[in-house]
Amino acid sequence: MVEKNSASPGNPPKRFLRLRQFLGDVPLLAWLFGGLISVLIEQQVGERLANLLGLPKIPVLFGFMLAMKEPLLLPGALAYVLVLYILTIVLIGKITARPFNLMAAKMIQWPIAIPVILHLVVLYAIMHFWADISLYRELTLKLTLIAIMLTLSLNIINGYMGEFSCSHPGFMSLGAYGASAVMVLFFVNDRLFGDAILPEVLGPFLFPLALILGGIVAALGALLIAIPSFKTRGDYLAIISLAFMFIVKSLFENLQFLGGARGLKGQPDLANLPTVFIWLVICVWVINNFVRSTMGKALNAVRDDELAAEAMTVNTRRTKMVAFLFAAFWAGVAGGLFAHTVRFINPNTFGVQRLAEILAMVYFGGLNSVYGSIVGAVSLNLLGEMLRPLALFKWIIIPLLLILIMIYRPTGLVAFKEFDVRKLIQPKRKPEKEV
Amino acid sequence: MRKGFLALVAVLVLGLALAPCGLAAQKTIKIGINAPITGDIPKVGEGSKYAAEMWLEDIKAAGGLDVGGVKYDVEVIIEDNESKPESAAKAATKLITEDEVLAIVGPQSSAQAIPAGEMANNFGTPMISPWSTNPDTTKDRPFVFRGCFLDPFQGPVVANFIKEEFGFTKAAVLYDVASDYPKGLAEVFKEAWEKNNGPGSVVAFESFTTKDADFSSQLTNIINSGAEVLFTPQYYNEVALIVQQAHELGWKNPIVGSDSWGSAETVKLCGEECYGLFFTTHYAAAGATGATKAFIDRYNQKYGYVPDDVGALTWDSLRIVQAAIQGTGGLSGDLKKDREAVKDAMANIKEFDGITGKMTFTPDGDPIKCAVIVRISDKGEFEFYKSVCP
Repeated sequence: MVEKNSASPGNPPKRFLRLRQFLGDVPLLAWLFGGLISVLIEQQVGERLANLLGLPKIPVLFGFMLAMKEPLLLPGALAYVLVLYILTIVLIGKITARPFNLMAAKMIQWPIAIPVILHLVVLYAIMHFWADISLYRELTLKLTLIAIMLTLSLNIINGYMGEFSCSHPGFMSLGAYGASAVMVLFFVNDRLFGDAILPEVLGPFLFPLALILGGIVAALGALLIAIPSFKTRGDYLAIISLAFMFIVKSLFENLQFLGGARGLKGQPDLANLPTVFIWLVICVWVINNFVRSTMGKALNAVRDDELAAEAMTVNTRRTKMVAFLFAAFWAGVAGGLFAHTVRFINPNTFGVQRLAEILAMVYFGGLNSVYGSIVGAVSLNLLGEMLRPLALFKWIIIPLLLILIMIYRPTGLVAFKEFDVRKLIQPKRKPEKEV
Repeated sequence: MRKGFLALVAVLVLGLALAPCGLAAQKTIKIGINAPITGDIPKVGEGSKYAAEMWLEDIKAAGGLDVGGVKYDVEVIIEDNESKPESAAKAATKLITEDEVLAIVGPQSSAQAIPAGEMANNFGTPMISPWSTNPDTTKDRPFVFRGCFLDPFQGPVVANFIKEEFGFTKAAVLYDVASDYPKGLAEVFKEAWEKNNGPGSVVAFESFTTKDADFSSQLTNIINSGAEVLFTPQYYNEVALIVQQAHELGWKNPIVGSDSWGSAETVKLCGEECYGLFFTTHYAAAGATGATKAFIDRYNQKYGYVPDDVGALTWDSLRIVQAAIQGTGGLSGDLKKDREAVKDAMANIKEFDGITGKMTFTPDGDPIKCAVIVRISDKGEFEFYKSVCP
């Protein structure tokens, strides 16, 4: 769906224009409805359809993995995706465009929360039924959603603030260890912390608090590095933040009560799909509001010209500090969710490799843009998973893609685009015949 | 246009209604390999992959796997875990839910084996990690096994060996504090040594961090401490540096290592400096006999180098899986039941005769097996010195 909405490069060829004409009047809710129907159909008859097309099972990630292992199945997998996802969604979206447009027109006059929640519920239902097919899908989806949070939070610093920070894995590990320590201490009979203190039923209630605590720990870490490093700019901040990442890593390697280099395991299994989804929604909402607030605009001013911003009464120091801590907080929350999804963390998980991964998602998706972060995190995560059968070649293809993106769109796929919820859910009219 | 769509939909609906409900069950057994093909330790992944290929060759040559009188085809599915914990968990989940494997061999390192073992245990799939030495991998997980001995066994073996062989009472330890395996083993060794020789008999307990290349300050401390022997449970690249630098600084006493030395690269990098040193490991390549020799020769001929312990342990793990599948006495075709049966059969394996020694599993899924003490000969080969059994 994302591909279709964003099929608007500078000079689109004619058939794209025609496609846009054809699909331009479909509102978001109709798309979501189409998606919901398509995953429901998959749940009911997916297995049979797959067998009919000669596939052994439902293609788990759009048939990519299957086709790569057995190229003969490629037509079947393509047909499956075409019929079940693309055709169904387009067809239903197109058919229901008119009633949903009317509905959207009505809803847009209500308080914004009502239509937004409606959209989110449908979106969640799609994910739920899609992930219901296979636990592998669910795990991949959860890690993808967490990656969106990480990407978005780094985008605040690297995109909106225009600095180059390398300490995100550090913040993530602070959050991961913070949240894990609390949860393991209270709810798990463990070698490191001894017996559980609280009954297990309280776990889900304390989990959000533990995540927030993890976020706060990360923000405190960010404060430690922000104070000395904001006297510098550019390359120096990058170096200081990189050093910070290594300091955090070796801190956890040496903290025996948190497992040291052996890592910490046994986090309770609380990061299920709805939990991760709700946290992601909160994260996107808060960050989107933040970057569109006066503070966010001040942040852009600092990025473009710090001196001019100072002259225009922007308190640059405070702005930078708040943004940095804010980003670290969300990285910490994402780290906590990550720890409870994988249910094992060790200091090595939060090293240079993780940093490269997050940076790639930010720059692939697009700087200074919420859309971009979502696109970057989702595409790189799914791509990484879909190309898994290629093993070594995966690490040639993905970097190559990144290089191509950097050449043709130097700021990323969807950079500098505002995420306007009202615009997103409003009724759509047929675009005029332009050009 | 819309008519076309409708026709298509009609055809599909009809097709679906007539489609058979699932294909007939094929007689194929799938075994998953969860290995670090890419990432930090690709050599380990390669060893696992080659061992699996050789095993599959054997099965194919025999015309399939005979379980309870029925011949099954065997398929090995190798999944890359990028040597990352979350990727190992994903790979395990994919093997279990998508590929529907009967059992999983791998991951090799503990950092990947712990999260992958969690998934395997939750979904009731037997998993055996050939190389992971962290107790957490198998602890409280009935479905998870391992193919190697644990550090709490290896540490005392080294300590006792040094005492018997040289009669030393003062030891020094040099280890990587940031890496899970050396750190754990160093601590176990220290405990065992001090139990033998009294508190304070480990006169120097020096550490460094992964990727350090200069150990002169630690080694100087060790030399000044009056230690009679140096124990360093490090990987091959560090072993070469440590041994060379120690000799440069005037260290003349023995240096003893652990199973992480057991790579062909150790001698390649270290050269003559390492000749005559001892380490504990799972099997000795030089002077091996019987099945072990057959395996080494075949591997060497096929891939051009003597397999290190990962290859041998993976081979053994695969054969344990094979023995367990055959030990079920027949598969029902119901994957859940079969996995359960394979797990039970694996737990009941007694005195399994592997190329790395005889194995019997404890209730935790850890094998009771002998360690081998190897001397690096004057030709640079790993020579069998003696065997220590629990």
